[in-house]
Amino acid sequence: MIPVRCFTCGKVISPAWEKYKERRDAGEDPKEILDDLGLERYCCRRMLLTHKEIVEDLNPYQ
Amino acid sequence: MDIAFIKLDDKAAKFVLSGATPAFANTLRRAMISEVPTLAIEDVRIYDNTSVVFDEILAHRLGLIPIRTDLSVYVPRSECTCGEAGCPICTSTYTLSVEGPRTVYSRDLIPQDPGAVPAEEDIPIIELFEGQKIVLEAHAIVSTGREHVKWQPTTACGYKNYPVVRINEAICDACGMCIEECPRGVLQVEDRRLQVVEERLELCSLCRLCERACLSGGIGEEPAIHIDADESRFIFVVESDGSMPVQEIIERALHYIQKKSDDLVEVLTEISGVAVDEEIRY
Repeated sequence: MIPVRCFTCGKVISPAWEKYKERRDAGEDPKEILDDLGLERYCCRRMLLTHKEIVEDLNPYQ
Repeated sequence: MDIAFIKLDDKAAKFVLSGATPAFANTLRRAMISEVPTLAIEDVRIYDNTSVVFDEILAHRLGLIPIRTDLSVYVPRSECTCGEAGCPICTSTYTLSVEGPRTVYSRDLIPQDPGAVPAEEDIPIIELFEGQKIVLEAHAIVSTGREHVKWQPTTACGYKNYPVVRINEAICDACGMCIEECPRGVLQVEDRRLQVVEERLELCSLCRLCERACLSGGIGEEPAIHIDADESRFIFVVESDGSMPVQEIIERALHYIQKKSDDLVEVLTEISGVAVDEEIRY
């Protein structure tokens, strides 16, 4: 799952994840999406840019 | 001392504090970060959790959710009359009961007090798959950022000195090398004279790359441009996590500083046995 807040500054970034993922998968430039979602600082931007969702991969091994 | 706001809304504020010392500016910053209390989830009673994450990860994620805090309603548990047992004056209770498949969001937390709702309702807590279930009860208490960051009302909160740009026109030949070097676009050449772009002075980060660029042009020992920091003016940036408006954070931090210094005066009076003269006090 995407972390609730940015590790560095503490801004709540997780609500932006689903919108970000949707638009990124549609082929939009991540820079434009992050600017649009109001993530200004590079600490918050890297949270979404570098995130990998593994919840679905973990699910079969309960 | 003077405060001039450049920007002020519920989520973020930018202001210039003038006529203050660096010590006072830092006191204000620290008070805003670690001395203004807010609500955050502290205890979680988990009745059922068959999701892919462990109980403690779930509890940690719940703790980080900012909660709207009305400090006229809630008091810290240590100051409460219930004797740290937990009552509606010091504790806000939430219940969460969700069955998969679906994603659990912060809006699924059902608060006992409708005033203390999560500040953002779209925070994903956990994704549940077919047959998975979460049933829990969470208790939020009031505390300060001094104890744990989850009680911090601010996210980005800091200041820098006000930049002062001095251009020595006697030796500046308006070559424009400093303009290319400036990462914030503060400088420009107009009518063959180097000057600061209007309203961009506050963006200057005091990096002094312009001074180095000026020297690299072979101008001599002294650069034609000097960047100084005004030691008595500070540009503050304060961002709220949503638990309370920024203005309230600033006011409460200032009240905290006032109370601390009043307490100190009282202690000193007690020790010395002499009442502090009102004129000296204020």
